[in-house]
This record gives sequence, C-alpha cells and structure tokens, in this order.
Amino acid sequence: MATMIDARQVSFSYATEDDPHEVLCGVSLSVKEGSFTALLGHNGSGKSTMAKLFNALLLPSGGQVLVQGMDTAREENKYDVRRTVGMVLQNPDNQLVSTVVEEDVAFGPENLGVPPAEIRERVEAALRAVDMWEFREHAPHKLSGGQKQRVAIAGVLAMQPQCLVLDEPTAMLDPQGRREVMETVRRLNREQGMTVVLITHYMEEAAKADRVVVMDGGAIVMDGTPREVFREAERLRGFQLDVPQPTELCHVLRKAGVNLPPDVLTVDECVEALASMME
Amino acid sequence: MLRDITIGQYFPVSSPMHRLDPRVKLVLTVLYIVALFLPKTWVGLAIAVALLAAAYALARIPFSMVVKSVRPILLLVTLTAALNLFYNKDGTVLFQWWIFTVTDAGLAKTAFIIVRILCLIVGSSLLTYTTTPTALTDAIERLLSPLKAVGLNVHELAMMMTIALRFIPTLIEETDKIMSAQKARGADMESGGLLRRIRSLLPVLIPLFASSFRRAYELALAMECRCYRGGEGRTRMKRLQLAARDGVALGVTAVTVALLVWLNFVFPRVI
Repeated sequence: MATMIDARQVSFSYATEDDPHEVLCGVSLSVKEGSFTALLGHNGSGKSTMAKLFNALLLPSGGQVLVQGMDTAREENKYDVRRTVGMVLQNPDNQLVSTVVEEDVAFGPENLGVPPAEIRERVEAALRAVDMWEFREHAPHKLSGGQKQRVAIAGVLAMQPQCLVLDEPTAMLDPQGRREVMETVRRLNREQGMTVVLITHYMEEAAKADRVVVMDGGAIVMDGTPREVFREAERLRGFQLDVPQPTELCHVLRKAGVNLPPDVLTVDECVEALASMME
Repeated sequence: MLRDITIGQYFPVSSPMHRLDPRVKLVLTVLYIVALFLPKTWVGLAIAVALLAAAYALARIPFSMVVKSVRPILLLVTLTAALNLFYNKDGTVLFQWWIFTVTDAGLAKTAFIIVRILCLIVGSSLLTYTTTPTALTDAIERLLSPLKAVGLNVHELAMMMTIALRFIPTLIEETDKIMSAQKARGADMESGGLLRRIRSLLPVLIPLFASSFRRAYELALAMECRCYRGGEGRTRMKRLQLAARDGVALGVTAVTVALLVWLNFVFPRVI
C-alpha cells in the first residue's frame, strides 16, 4: 500500500527566545493509505501538534512532512495538502461557519472554486455519508453535539480529501454523540477506504483502530496493533494512559492468578474469555 | 429570556416568499418601509396592512411568530403612543385631567402611528423569517458589489456578518450558562440600582470575552483547514437568478406604492 503521510525526523517547537522547549523531537511516522491509526498520549505529549503538522497548519522546524509526496513546507503545496488531508477539530461549535447545515458543508468546496453544480453534488454525497442529509436545511445550533460533529466531518468530506485527521473529535460529546461520530468514522474507513488518523484519549475508541501509536514527551514510545499495545498495561500507565476497561479487568484477574488471555480488547471478548475459563 | 430574541431567526417552511430572490426581498423590504410613510389616509394604511398580511399568508408564517416579533418593541410603541396622544391639542377634547388632554384627532393619529410602527417591525421581520441569514448576507454582498470599485472589501464584510449571525445563538447560550454559573456561586444580578447591576455583569462579561477570543481562534483554524483564503477565486453553491415570481413581487409592490400616493389625494387625511 502507498504511503499517505510520511513524517521524517520531525521536530517542532513553539519556540520563543525564553522557551526553547521542543514539543516534538525527531519523530518519524508513516501512515499507509486506507489505514485507521489511533494516536494516543496524555496532555502535552505532542499528539495535537503532530496532527496540525499533517495538514500544514503548522510547519516542522526540523525534518519533513510529506503528504502523498508533497512537502508541506512548500507554500505552493499548502492548499493541495489541506485538500488531501482534511482535519476535524475538537469543538464542533467552533468549526461551523454558516447558519444552515448545507451551506456550511459547501464552505470548503466554495473556497476551492468548485463549480456550483458540482458543489451541490458534493454536499449531498458528504451529508449522506455522515447520515445528515435530512438535516440539510437545519440551523447547526439546534443540532446535538454528535450531529454537529458529523456536519463538521461532512464539511471536510465535501473537499474530497483522501485522509481524515480528527483531533479529539469526541472529547466534548456525550456517549450517544461519541458513538455516532465513531460509527461514522469507521464506516468511512471501511466503506470508502478513507485513511483515518484519530487522536483520542478514549481507549475504547483507540481499540477499534488497526494501529495504535502512543506518544509521550514529544516522541513515539509505542506503535503496534491495539492488541500488542494494550497488553502492556503497566507500561501504558507509565505514560499516564489507561487501557480499555475489559482489558483492565482481565489484567487485574491475571495478576490475581486467574488464567485469562492478556490481549482482550472488547466486552464481548472479555465475556467469552471469562465463560470459557469458568467451564 | 435571552432566547426570545428573534432577529435573524429563519422560519424554515417552503413557500413562494421563501423562494423569492433575497436581493429582491431586501429591496422590497426597504421599499415597503419607505412606502409605509406615504399613506396619510386610513384607506392607504389599510392597503399597506393588507399587502403585509397577504405577504405573510403567502409565506406561511403563523400568527404567533408575528406576535413574537412585536413583543420586544412593545415598550417603545407604548411610549410613542403616549407622547402622541397627549401632545396633540387639535380636534375636540374627549377627556382632560391635570396636564393630560385627549382629543379625537389625537386618538386617531395615535392609532395610525401604532399601526405604522407595527407594520414596520412586522414587515422587516418577514425578511428575516423567509430569508436565511446566509442568503441575506449573500444578497447584501451582491447588492453592494459595485462598491468594490471604491475599495470596499465587500466579501470580507459579508463574511463577518455571516460569522456574527452564526455565533449569536452560541454566545447567547454561553451567556446563559455563565450567568447560571455565577448565580450558583452566589452572584446577585437582580437587585440593587442601575450602577450596581451593571457592575454585577462584569463577572459575566469577562469570561464571555475570554471564551469568544478562544472561539475566534479555533474558528480561524477550522476555516484555514477548509482552505479559506478570502473572496478571490471563490465560487458559491447557491447562484442567485431572478425568476418570474421576482418580477411579479416587484410589480405588485410598485403598483401598491403608486396606489398609496394616489390615495392621498382622494381620501381625507388623518395625518
């Protein structure tokens, strides 16, 4: 599979004279096309900065970020990079520009100078993809958090990106909204082959990715499938991270001497493991 | 209480009024407001009211929305009415007490003015009920576009208006939340004199400002993510095109205005 995003030895600091502190120090990460990567890390681990480097909102102070081979640092690539890597931010309220859902979704393609008839098609496709087509004439402020965030995702989809970077998209949502957004993102990844980079601090969400990357202190400290990463509960705790609750339960029981597998991820798997153990 | 503000609140139904070109609606609204000052006779005023009523019926806006749009200005209407009623010394005296005199002509004039002010508000509300704020800013952008020649950045102006409209409900909600939070901690906002009450708003305004700046920063970030780079090279999903109904609307209004002028010469004047 081809590489979507390639970060090579990337450094970054919000450097001022009196604070030379580096947020990222020589991080390398490559994201494959069509993959679903979760980026984990506690506050200040550099994961949000990393996301902003992926679509040229920030430029690396050292190293290179390549998006489908385009160097994000080159000014002439800026808009192509942003069109290829769409970004969804945390607070849905602060990303919606317009007072009508469909006009908000049209904002991106309008900026790109897409002809009006094609914008219509794109808006419809994007709203259908996030299951918000019936709400096209509603006012965003009357929608629920999860619905707003899905509109924000549609707004990015209308630019027809090939990769979606979501910076803690569920942090401000209730459980219902969180589920809606996660389902939408997973469906886009599975059905449309959209490359997804999900930054989150919900372990249950990360468990659904096909790759989990853990960051700490501006460096990548763990990288592997959810099973590989979450079986090391002790190490994760050292980075101030938890493991998904079913994994945690099995981990504690194992320590107490119960014979359970170390890499349980979901509730169903946990139930199954416990049932077969009791037989 | 803060949620009752209806300015800029679109009423989403499908109607011929909603489908009118926003530029035409804007021009018609201005025209109607000017036309309201033409009638000097009851017949003329009745026609202006009838035109508005017909427009509302066509727009399928329920009567409750009309009442809602009038509520915020009731105080103003009462005040204007009172001044007009007691300052008018013409005509036969109906009632007199201390410095207050009510005459029949004064009463008629006051009624006339009340109807006129109500029409003014209800008429301009029709524009915001039937036109999305985005369509409205779009119309303003296009109607003002000749001003580009004198160096006015019309696109940026329209963008600012859109964003302001978009964030009014959000900020109102936030104000409500902050007020509740401060009240929960014992802030007293309902008692004391004017000065004291203004001062008690400070703990609401400061967090509101701080959060607005944060919102503005994030919005700018989100707009950059979506490749915003000003008005240049930008297209619009909704193209504005004049249709036959726009011509009909303009025609009807023009005929009505002409009629209003003519009526002033035929029927007895009230004002």
